[in-house]
Amino acid sequence: MSPLENFRMAFESLLGNKLRSFLALLGIVIGVFAVTAMVSLGQMATAGITQDLEAIAGRSIFVQPNFNEGQDFTSAPIREEDLVALQTLPVQVIPQLFTSLQYESRPGERRSLQLQGTPGDLPRLDPTTRVARGRYFTEAEARGGLAVAVLSDRAARELFPGREAVGQVARLYYPGGSRLELTVVGVLEPPSGIFGGLGSSAVVFAPIPLVWNTAPNLRRGEYAFVVLSLKKGADARQVTQQVRRIFESRYGKGKYQVQSTESFQDTLRSVTLILQALLGAIAGLSLLVGGIGIMNIMLVSVTERTREIGLRKALGATSAQVRQQFLIEAVVLTLVGGVLGVVLAASLLFLVTATVPFFKVYILSPLTVLLALAVSALVGLFFGVWPAARAAALDPIEALRYE
Amino acid sequence: MTPVVEMRGVTKVYRSGSGARTVEVHALRGVDLAIQPGEYVALMGPSGSGKSTLMHIIGLLDSPTEGEYRLGGEPVRGLSEAQLARIRNQRVGFVFQAFFLLPRLTALHNVALPLVYRGVPLAKRLERARAALEAVGLGDRLDHLPSELSGGQKQRVAIARALVQEPDLLLADEPTGNLDSQSSEEVLALFDALHRQGKTILMVTHEYEVGARAQRIVRLRDGRVVEGGV
Ligand SMILES: Nc1ncnc2c1ncn2[C@@H]1O[C@H](COP(=O)(O)OP(=O)(O)OP(=O)(O)O)[C@@H](O)[C@H]1O
Ligand SMILES: [Mg+2]
Repeated sequence: MSPLENFRMAFESLLGNKLRSFLALLGIVIGVFAVTAMVSLGQMATAGITQDLEAIAGRSIFVQPNFNEGQDFTSAPIREEDLVALQTLPVQVIPQLFTSLQYESRPGERRSLQLQGTPGDLPRLDPTTRVARGRYFTEAEARGGLAVAVLSDRAARELFPGREAVGQVARLYYPGGSRLELTVVGVLEPPSGIFGGLGSSAVVFAPIPLVWNTAPNLRRGEYAFVVLSLKKGADARQVTQQVRRIFESRYGKGKYQVQSTESFQDTLRSVTLILQALLGAIAGLSLLVGGIGIMNIMLVSVTERTREIGLRKALGATSAQVRQQFLIEAVVLTLVGGVLGVVLAASLLFLVTATVPFFKVYILSPLTVLLALAVSALVGLFFGVWPAARAAALDPIEALRYE
Repeated sequence: MTPVVEMRGVTKVYRSGSGARTVEVHALRGVDLAIQPGEYVALMGPSGSGKSTLMHIIGLLDSPTEGEYRLGGEPVRGLSEAQLARIRNQRVGFVFQAFFLLPRLTALHNVALPLVYRGVPLAKRLERARAALEAVGLGDRLDHLPSELSGGQKQRVAIARALVQEPDLLLADEPTGNLDSQSSEEVLALFDALHRQGKTILMVTHEYEVGARAQRIVRLRDGRVVEGGV
């Protein structure tokens, strides 16, 4: 007897009992739905996070002193000669300085913002820095330590509410009280994506020599932080290792922290993986319950159809053929459940991409679908074995006598 | 000519219970029986005399405890379950008292069922089933479900299902037991016709008038053949 024949028979008997078949399927439908949705949502989340992260930080490596020994970061700064060593790697070296500043929001009321020293023409070095209006200060302006500034979107709104910031003079104060007046030459675009919030602080960008000259607590030739923007084709992992080695050979282990956006992504990925595993466990549980439901319904079906089984054997069906019939019936049952589950999951994913901005891309890979269907078929096979074996073992005479 | 059925000293002992409380039922106590091709034999005897048991052994649904049985000249002892199923499918056609039609299948598909286990393709199966139904006078009831047929018609569908196998031997266990007299007549007339066409028939019956239509009557009593065995 061909498998096709068996499938035909299986469908006939399932259709003969539509409501019951459907109810028996629910567990499988939910299980497969959960598996499919979980895998796809995980993939969609990872894709979304990766995109956002690259938009805000690009492919970069960050180097900064470790603060955990209770020291002020000026005690272990990054020096000019470190930067020279880093120049040999396939990266753009972008050293930075930080200090805090205040401005008068209303007469008598001062608020803080951050002053960040950067090289000139930053957008060329770091593609994630984008100028919205005006321009970035040039390398020459930076080297000369001119009193110019570029504002983050938020800083522009705070310093010059309701006015165009470009062309204005920003009046700022160091915590010690000394005054700093900078001409605003440009405003940056606000960061976007889910990490946009992280990047949307009030920052004033100014030439590094200017910050050294004016900030009371910073020493010339020392940097707080270095961003290494990876050149195209450079291997993030490998370069991160090289950077780490440079700092370790100069200062010893553990003095500097070297992190890449990829390592952030790895962390995020492992978080989604844990989430997926959790959801997977739930899905597995509902598949188990669903499978037991299938086994139950198949056992009922075998009992109900005792006479049918006896008759088939009398007409020449072998035990193996009877077993096959019931196994295929169980598999068809769970496969139908699997298809329903996948369809349900696909519609949910569609809905989610259409309504939740975070999920930008619709991902339902053929592999996921295949996996879901294979799992549902396997559940049918596994939980169909016992009922099918019982059907196969029936003695035809007893079975025909069964009332 | 080789007898279709050839039995020598066949016994059947049913054991139930266990240990000291084992009960043995001697359903058959040494049966000798021969049925020649083309014969129409009625198997009669009181209730519990072993008629159905003998029928099941002849139809290879059950095996003898002792004794020798040849079907179509070939001994069946030691055959595997799958081999027995194959022979049942190709050589024996059963007709039961309770019809045993599958309720969700039409007459046509019920009749085609045995051919499934022979690997006959669907179109061919339906064609042969149609011919078998026409042969029992139900060519106009192909697409009826069993619930839409009278008792006599159901039994004729069951006979068509046996005929579609083109068996060496038709086995009928009280085929008129569930039928009123008019339907019984329909079914018996069909068996008469099949006999005239040369089919070999063994029919279990309680009723004398039914047995009288056969060529020969084999009588069983307490698991022994008391008349007409060979
Ligand atoms: N599976 C079984 N286990 C134990 N005893 C059995 C079994 N099948 C039949 N018997 C016994 O064997 C004997 C013969 O039974 P069988 O069914 O062959 O009688 P029968 O002639 O067909 O009777 P009836 O005319 O009532 O159908 C009876 O005593 C019956 O109780
Ligand atoms: Mg009987």
